[in-house]
Amino acid sequence: MSPNGSNGKPSILIVDDEEMVIASIRAFLQLETDYQIHGFTDAEEAARFTESHRVDVAVSDYLMPKMNGIQLLARVKEKQPEASRVLLTGHADKQSAIQAINQVSLFQYLEKPWDNAQLLLVIESGAERARLFRDLRDKVEQLGAANSSLKDVQKRLIEAFL
Amino acid sequence: MSSPATELHQMAAVGRLLAGIVHEINTPLGSIFSNNEVISRSLEMLVPLIEQGTPEALGRAGKIVAGCQSLAAVDRIACERIRSVIRGLKSLSRVDGSEPRKVDLNQQLLDTVKLTQTEFRRRIAVETDLGELPEVDCYPQMLNQVFLNLLMNAGQAIEGEGCIRIRTHRENGMVHISISDSGPGMSPEAQVRAFEPGFTTKPVGEGTGLGLPISREIVVDKHGGTIDFESRPGMGTTFHIRIPLEQKKRSAP
Repeated sequence: MSPNGSNGKPSILIVDDEEMVIASIRAFLQLETDYQIHGFTDAEEAARFTESHRVDVAVSDYLMPKMNGIQLLARVKEKQPEASRVLLTGHADKQSAIQAINQVSLFQYLEKPWDNAQLLLVIESGAERARLFRDLRDKVEQLGAANSSLKDVQKRLIEAFL
Repeated sequence: MSSPATELHQMAAVGRLLAGIVHEINTPLGSIFSNNEVISRSLEMLVPLIEQGTPEALGRAGKIVAGCQSLAAVDRIACERIRSVIRGLKSLSRVDGSEPRKVDLNQQLLDTVKLTQTEFRRRIAVETDLGELPEVDCYPQMLNQVFLNLLMNAGQAIEGEGCIRIRTHRENGMVHISISDSGPGMSPEAQVRAFEPGFTTKPVGEGTGLGLPISREIVVDKHGGTIDFESRPGMGTTFHIRIPLEQKKRSAP
């Protein structure tokens, strides 16, 4: 879908209104993976980014000034249905988690302070899940295309013999 | 000032604040944990690179060191953030003595504002216009409680983004403090019943209906001051508090 997603490396979106969170997660992921990391402190900008760039895993804070994490992840779901959606929140509030899981079908819910090993596991499996979904969609499309060209051939065959 | 109802109200207010404070501390804490791990791993990577000693290896080592330095800078910011939250909490935990003492009310207001910012985050801008004030003879902890009540009310009145304006100035023998919000204003019924114990417009579990009656008790009965408000639907609400500079008990010997 995106020009810079074409190299096949998983693309990870990190959104938190605190720059320090993005800096820390970015440093950690760069050490452990070769993923492409896109960090945003502004949820609105992050939402716009997903309109034109492929995203495999979207990790978002919950409490942010312009829109909350659930609203952002809903926008991501709309634009990139295959992306795995993760809420990373310091809000000690299970209500927000339940609300999020129901509204935007979250892939995972993580609490701050987060554990890096767990975060990595979630992001790796989230990226794998997104890849499988995209593969499946491609296969279904190929199948559809093959099916319609088969029908085309069949139609021409019938026409030729009748 | 320690009736069960007052304590209940104070606990509810503190509970609301704590939720914000937990968030405010967990965010920098998450960063510090993560950075600590990345820095430790980086140090492990540095040893073999330095042992190799080739220009290439040293070049990579240099990059790793630069990465660690920037994470150390992030840690400093994160620690500062936690320290400023703790500082705000300290002002809430002090207890007033039985005699009034002289304090800078502007500073008391700023400390209380710091505390509410964990709750407001960047949703609400707090603007201050603090005039020059003499030290005021008062029970500062109780007044902090009043400021906290009014600020929390103001914040809860505002839906979405908005602004709270705090003004102070000297007015004859009094200090005049006003707290305005950009919220929708109070309904005529709420205006009539505002100081009635148990009356609240907040959802069950959020408001105790005691914030304003307790505030009035502190300002009027304890300090011999006044508290009133002006509110128009659509125009927001402003609370005015006037506290005398000197408490009568302490009139010159």
